[in-house]
Amino acid sequence: MRLLPISQSRLRPLSVLAAAVLAVSSLAACGGSSSDTAAAGSATSGTINWWGWTPTDTATAETYISAFNKQYPNIKVNYKLVNISDWVAALRPALLSGKGPDVFDMQPGAYVAQFKSFAEDQTKLAQDALGADWKSAIAPIGVSGLTADNKLTAMPVGSVYAGMLWINGDIFKKYNLKPPTTLAEWKNVCQTLKANKVGCFVQGAAQEGFDQDTLQSIANSVQPGLWTKVSTGDAKWNEPAIVKTLTIWKDLFDSGIMQEGAIGYQQYPDANNDFLTGKYGMVMMGTWYTQYATTKAMTAALSAAGVSGAKPFPILPIAFPDVAGAGSTSGMYGDADFGLAISTKSKQKAAAETFVKWLTTAKEGQQAIADQLNDLPSLKGVEPDFDTIQLVDPASQKAPVQDLIEKASTITEPREALLSADVQNAILAAATSVATGKATAQQAADTLQKAAEAAGVTFK
Amino acid sequence: MTGTSTLTGNRVGDERSADPSGGGRRPGRRGPRRPPGLPWILPALVLSVGLIYYGIGYTGYISTLDWDGVSPDPGHLGLQNYTRIVHDPVFWAAVRHTVVFFVVTFVIQTVLGLVFAVLLHAKVRLAAIYKVIVFVPVVLAPAIMAPVFRHMFAPDGELNWVLDHVGLGSLAQPWIGQTSTALPVIMFITIWEWTGLTFVLYYAAMTQIDPSILEAARMDGAGNLRTLISIIWPEMRGTTVALAILGAIGALKTFDVPYLVTIGGPNYATEFLGTYIYRQTIPLSHVGYGAALSIILLVVALIMALVLQFAGRERGAGD
Repeated sequence: MRLLPISQSRLRPLSVLAAAVLAVSSLAACGGSSSDTAAAGSATSGTINWWGWTPTDTATAETYISAFNKQYPNIKVNYKLVNISDWVAALRPALLSGKGPDVFDMQPGAYVAQFKSFAEDQTKLAQDALGADWKSAIAPIGVSGLTADNKLTAMPVGSVYAGMLWINGDIFKKYNLKPPTTLAEWKNVCQTLKANKVGCFVQGAAQEGFDQDTLQSIANSVQPGLWTKVSTGDAKWNEPAIVKTLTIWKDLFDSGIMQEGAIGYQQYPDANNDFLTGKYGMVMMGTWYTQYATTKAMTAALSAAGVSGAKPFPILPIAFPDVAGAGSTSGMYGDADFGLAISTKSKQKAAAETFVKWLTTAKEGQQAIADQLNDLPSLKGVEPDFDTIQLVDPASQKAPVQDLIEKASTITEPREALLSADVQNAILAAATSVATGKATAQQAADTLQKAAEAAGVTFK
Repeated sequence: MTGTSTLTGNRVGDERSADPSGGGRRPGRRGPRRPPGLPWILPALVLSVGLIYYGIGYTGYISTLDWDGVSPDPGHLGLQNYTRIVHDPVFWAAVRHTVVFFVVTFVIQTVLGLVFAVLLHAKVRLAAIYKVIVFVPVVLAPAIMAPVFRHMFAPDGELNWVLDHVGLGSLAQPWIGQTSTALPVIMFITIWEWTGLTFVLYYAAMTQIDPSILEAARMDGAGNLRTLISIIWPEMRGTTVALAILGAIGALKTFDVPYLVTIGGPNYATEFLGTYIYRQTIPLSHVGYGAALSIILLVVALIMALVLQFAGRERGAGD
C-alpha cells in the first residue's frame, strides 16, 4: 500500500472536514444542556404535550382535557401516561433534548430536586390568576413542596394523603369481619380470611414509596410525628422508636399479615391488580384510591386489571390500625400529589400556561379534579359534588369517603417531600433487609442512619 | 464489501502514484508519512471514534465527577468514585451474582446444547420441529417474556399451581419474592432463552466433524458415550471457547431479565452490574458513580474476553 502522491493537498480539506465533524459532534453533545429561549406562541391555540405518571389512567386525564376544551377548543392537549417507575428515565432525556413535553407532572421531594432546572417559575402565573394573596387561596402543602430555590416549579393540581388502608367491602361483609383497629385484630382478620382461602393484605414491598407509607404509619403509631422529625434531621434513623417501627414491620411479615413474596411485589401493577381482582381483602393505598369508590373508575380499573365482565365492588377507607398498641391513632400525612410544570424549552409556553392556569386555579378545572376523586383539589373552597358522583354502593361508601376527605383537608404532616432519592433508596434497603431477615431492626436502622448522613442530611 | 473497497482503493492509489503530475518530489526522498488508505477509512473512523471511543472517553471523564446528569457545574472528585465502589457492598454482591450466573448458565447451557445437538444429529423423527422448539426462545424478546415469567413464578402462579396439583404443594413458594430463589429464577429464564443458540452452534460445528473419524471410532469399538466424550467434545473446543466468551460478556452485560422480572431485588438479590449502573445513574441520578461502574464493567469485560481467549488458545496449542 502506498501513499497517494496528491494526498497532502487533497487530504487537507478532508482533515478539516473530519475535524469539523468531530467538533460538531462534541458541540452537539454539549448542546443539550443549553437553555432555550423559545417563542411563547399563542395563548388560545396550538398543541401541547402533557406527560405524567398521574392521572394513572388516561380516561381521567381525558376527562380533564375535555372539560378544558369546552372553554379553550383550539388548544389540543395530548396526554402521555408514563409509569412512575420509568418516570425519571423517560423525562430527563426528553427535557434535555428539548423534544419532550410542554407540561409535565412534578411531585414534591426528589422530583423537584431533579427537574427544577427544567421548570418555569410559575409565581407570576399564580399571581395573575389568584391575585397577590395567591398563597392563601390554595392548599399550603402544595406550595411549600413544589417551591425550590425561591421558584414555584409547578402549580399544585391537588393533594394526596396516605396513612389509611382500603378494604374490600364485599369480602368483609361476606365473612362478617370488622375493620381491625389493633395489630392483634389485624392478625385475627387475616387468619379468618386465610381460613377461607382469601388473601388478607397485599403490599408491593419492592417499591420504596409504598414501603415508606406503611413504615410512616407504623412510626406514627409508635410515636406521632417521629417520621417527620427523622426526615428533617431533628431525630436519627436509629432512634429506639424507629427500631421499634422496623420490628413491627418485620412482624407484619412473620405473622402472615403481609402476603407471601411481598418483597418481590410491585404496588403497581401487582398489588393493585390483586386487590382489584378480589384476591385480597386489604391494601395500603392513599386518597388517590378514592376514585375507585366510583362505579366508573372501578369498572375501568377492573378492565385494566384484566377482569372481563367483573362486577365493581365497594371499597372503603379505614384508619391504619394502632399496631404499636400505644393508643396513638396513626394519623395521615400528605403532599401535593402533583403540580403541573411548564418546560423551559416549550415552544408553546403561552398555550401551556393557559392549560395549567385553568386546571390549577379555575373553579371549573379544580371541580373536574375534585369530582374525579383522584386528588383533593388544591383551590380552597372546591369540594367533590357527591350529587353527581356515582359511588358503587353509596349506602356504605358515602359517609366514610366524605369523612376521609374532610379529615385529609386538615393534614399538614408531609409524606415524601422531605426525603431525597438516596434516603428513599436507603429506606427501601432497610425495609427489605429486615423483612428478609438479612439484618436485625437495629442493624438496618444503623445502616439507614449512615446512608442518610452520606446523602447529606444534617442531624442535630 | 469492505475488502473489495479497500482493494479498489489501493489499485486507484497505485494508478495515481504513477501519474507524473501528481508527484513533484525529488527522487529518493519520501513524502510526509500518512496512514495508507486514510480517505477510504475516514468515514468509518469518524463514526467509530465519534460514537464509540468518544463515548468511552467521555464516560471516563464523567466517572471523575459528582454529577446528577443535568447540573451545569458538576463537582470534580478525581478517583473518589472508584474508591467508593471498592467499599460498596452492593457492587460486590453484583459481582458475585455475575460470577455465579455465568458459571451456572454456561455449564447448563453447554450440557443441554450439546445433548440436543447430538440427539438431533441422530435420525430423530420430527427433528425439524424439535429444532424450532429449542431455538424459538432465542428470538423472543425478554420484554415480552418477562411478564409471563413474573406470572408463572408468582405466589399464585402456574408453577405453584402445578406443584399443588401433583402433590408437591410443600415446595410451592414465592419464587421471585424471596432472596434465596430469585437468582435461580433469573438463571432459569436465561438458560431457557439462550440454550437454543448454544444448540445451534454445536449442531453446526458437529456437521464439520469428518465422518471417517466417527466411523473409525465405531470400528474400534467406541460406544455412544465414549464417542461423545473422546471424539465429539474435543472437536467442539473452539465452539465452546467462543460460547464461553459470549456467555461471560453476556453475564457482565445482563440487564433486561433481572430488571424486568425482579428489578434487581428483592433486597439486591438479583442485582447485576448492568442493573446497578442503571439504578445509580437513572433513579438515583448519580451519573458520575454510574459512569465509574461502567468503566469498571468495560475493563472487566475486556480482561475476561482476553483471559478466555488466551486460555482457549493455550489449551488448544497444548493438545
